[in-house]
Amino acid sequence: MKGRGKIWAWFFIILGILYFFLPLIATFLFSLRAKLGVLSFQAYANVFNDPKFIRSFTASLLWATLTILVGIMLFVPTAYWVRLKVPKARTAVEFITLIPFVVPAIVYVFGLVRTYSQPPLLIVDSPVLLIAAYTILSMPYMYRAVDIGLRSIDVRTLTEAAQSLGAGWGTILFRVIIPNIRVSILNGAFLSFAIVMGEYILAQYLVKPAFAPYMAGLMQNKAYEPAALAVISFALTWACMGIIQVVGRGQQGQIAGGH
Amino acid sequence: MTVLDAVKRDALTARPAPSKRSWAWLGVMPFFLFTFLFLLYPASTIVIRSFQNSTTGAFTLQNILTLFKNPYILGAYKISIQISLITSVGGAIFGFLLAYAAIRGGLPVFMRVSLLTFCGVASNFAGVPLAFAFIALLSPTGMLIGWMRAFGYNPYFHGFTLYTFWGLSLVYMYFQFPLMVLIIAPAIDGMRREWLEASQNLGATTAQYWRHVAFPILLPSLLGTTILLFGNAFGAFATAQALTGGQINLVTIVIGSQLRGDVLGDQGLGYALALGMVVVMALAIAGYTLLQRRTERWLR
Amino acid sequence: MAFLEINDVSKIFGQAVAVNNFNLQVDKGELVSFLGPSGCGKTTTLRMVAGFEVPTTGRIVINGEDITYKPPNQRDVGMVFQAYALFPNMNVAGNIGFGLKIAKKPRKEIDQRVKELLTIIHMDEYGDRYPYQLSGGQQQRVALARALALSPQVLLLDEPLSALDAKIRVSLRAEIRSIQRQLGITAIYVTHDQEEALSLSDRVVVMNGGNMEQVGSPFEIYNFPKTEFVAQFVGLLNSTKAEVVDPASNRLKLDGQQVQTAESLGEYHAGDQVVVAIRPERLSFTTEGVKPNVLDCTIENITFLGAIVRITVKVGQYNLFMDTFNNPFLELPKIGDRAQITCSREAVLVVK
Repeated sequence: MKGRGKIWAWFFIILGILYFFLPLIATFLFSLRAKLGVLSFQAYANVFNDPKFIRSFTASLLWATLTILVGIMLFVPTAYWVRLKVPKARTAVEFITLIPFVVPAIVYVFGLVRTYSQPPLLIVDSPVLLIAAYTILSMPYMYRAVDIGLRSIDVRTLTEAAQSLGAGWGTILFRVIIPNIRVSILNGAFLSFAIVMGEYILAQYLVKPAFAPYMAGLMQNKAYEPAALAVISFALTWACMGIIQVVGRGQQGQIAGGH
Repeated sequence: MTVLDAVKRDALTARPAPSKRSWAWLGVMPFFLFTFLFLLYPASTIVIRSFQNSTTGAFTLQNILTLFKNPYILGAYKISIQISLITSVGGAIFGFLLAYAAIRGGLPVFMRVSLLTFCGVASNFAGVPLAFAFIALLSPTGMLIGWMRAFGYNPYFHGFTLYTFWGLSLVYMYFQFPLMVLIIAPAIDGMRREWLEASQNLGATTAQYWRHVAFPILLPSLLGTTILLFGNAFGAFATAQALTGGQINLVTIVIGSQLRGDVLGDQGLGYALALGMVVVMALAIAGYTLLQRRTERWLR
Repeated sequence: MAFLEINDVSKIFGQAVAVNNFNLQVDKGELVSFLGPSGCGKTTTLRMVAGFEVPTTGRIVINGEDITYKPPNQRDVGMVFQAYALFPNMNVAGNIGFGLKIAKKPRKEIDQRVKELLTIIHMDEYGDRYPYQLSGGQQQRVALARALALSPQVLLLDEPLSALDAKIRVSLRAEIRSIQRQLGITAIYVTHDQEEALSLSDRVVVMNGGNMEQVGSPFEIYNFPKTEFVAQFVGLLNSTKAEVVDPASNRLKLDGQQVQTAESLGEYHAGDQVVVAIRPERLSFTTEGVKPNVLDCTIENITFLGAIVRITVKVGQYNLFMDTFNNPFLELPKIGDRAQITCSREAVLVVK
């Protein structure tokens, strides 16, 4: 069985490799075809010179950074507090953090728009809503990453040790707890980064500049530039996941949303 | 401050005395407030307005009932369920075979790590860029089509097109396989070599081992992940939108259109549709969780 | 002809010799242990009998039939694994009856046999339980029953108790031995725990680095070890270097003090260096009675172990252990005292 089984194993692996890599290769080759007859990076040059690209890309970077910051400021203290002081809140909090899994992005934005596009809660046009929404979207990953990190350090003992040395809550959080869960926070941060950078639905329907809607718009009338963007997007995702692997030492996350 | 003072002070603060319980809950208020405003309240809006008549505001079950009668909506559900079923079952089968080949197929060790790493990335590579990648590959001017035409065969002359149901299914597989691989890999790792040996020792052939031992053990995991994959496909939007421009009427696409303008002719229907989606997703996640728990119990 | 024969069996993995020239004849109904440290080849040999490894050279014969190259699912052997290896998707009855189900036995027969075995392992009411609901000891008993269900010709046990707590180990090993005797089944028991091997076996094979060091009854290998390794591995042992003084009268010099052995030193010459071994329980203080050998020593340490009191004495440059039974009214010397210890000639073993 061993010999025959190996052949089948190779068969499926090669099939898998073909399926995964052919679209990527096609995209990359396509992106090099902007100049007629010659392989060049013209499409990339066009993209980088397009002010709309710069605006969209930096906008996405901004949204991602802000989302991460809000996430850290909200979820780290919450996870810490739940673990330390209010264990009874645990089930409720965890349930809430898992709701975004159950609500597809399109339904979520549907609810957001309907709720916040009428006075007195007319904030549908505000970037605050977008950041908040992104934070919610990244919540399952960010909160879980932080929680896992907290689980692996003895929160109670560290807190008590710090308190017995005279530390206040702020000091404890920023100089004792956070440095010890640095890896988990980075893990969650990079996942959130990847999610927000690639996110299309929220940005599109809340009408804000972002990378993915820009790319979708470009697909309507350009051929080669979207390919370049796809390559950039893929490289970005790779980079994020790669950093997570290196930094996270195996704490991996899959994103089953945003598509 | 003396050590005694410090000890006294943390005797008061470090251990939550019962009377201080209400104050401690204050610490999680920001979280509850935030999630209420930006998650629970909008979600509840959907639920409540599904049961409201869109003009009068009175309570009604009509919206929900219409879901099952409106042919346009039924059609959307049918297509969504079809594509979710096909890509979840197909993704589960191929993902399992891929994972098993890499882990137990007698291949070099780096295969397993490479596959898992790649799947970690590929499962996130969805939406607009994925749609474009497949356009680059399989559109009438795509790379693969070009190769096939070089051999004298043009699939587009034989009825193939990327921008249909089957094309979309093919694209969906790109994030379905990897998700399956990632989730089933630990289950495959958990298959102990002694089980095979014990069954052989008791007279079983390899086929009998698979039939009586291996598959039954893996089944809850396989089933659970398939259900998860179903939910995954059901809720997908961006990929379909980017690939087909909204031509294929998935439930998600209809909801998207509803956002732009009332295509359904009744606001209440839009909410009911959204609610229906959430129900399907919730069932999928619940099914997955239940089955995973069964697996974990066995593989302890 | 013996029931189980392992003839000139070797197993080589690439450059490494895992098992070197293993030879054993096992009688029907005998329980033989393979005893040795990790990596000595005992498990590999067992797996060759089970069929999970194929010998590089040699033959394995059970009841006259050469099974050396038979696939593992066609041999008539039952195996109990170290990690129990119960099928998690089947309950206890399902696990035990698995072999019979594969053999397509009628339902009634399977149920009957399962019931019998549950009684033998004293778990009559557990048929419906699942492995994850059982303790380690219970799982191992089910594994035993599962292996016995097909009434195999040989029972193989691969360190079955090493994953269990000490207390359970002791009671379970007695149960295993009793079941084995009751059924009269030939068995091979692999372990690294010498107490297990000594208490369970009819015979013990001591292995080291792929080689057979000694084969014999527990009594033999403990009291008459043939090699230094066996002497060291089995039981606690004092071993020192000594010089042959006079081969004819079996006299040696242990760090300046004279010692006489009962073993023949004919093959040695005066001045040869040998290794001498004495079991701790064979030493006593001269206050209890004087035996042919007397050694001067100082008391280094006294450790109370419960039933036994272990005294470390310094003889010349060597520290020797001395075991004596606990007696609350016995006066023991204090640490630092000088004393005299004594032992018989037979207690002095000369090992290679």
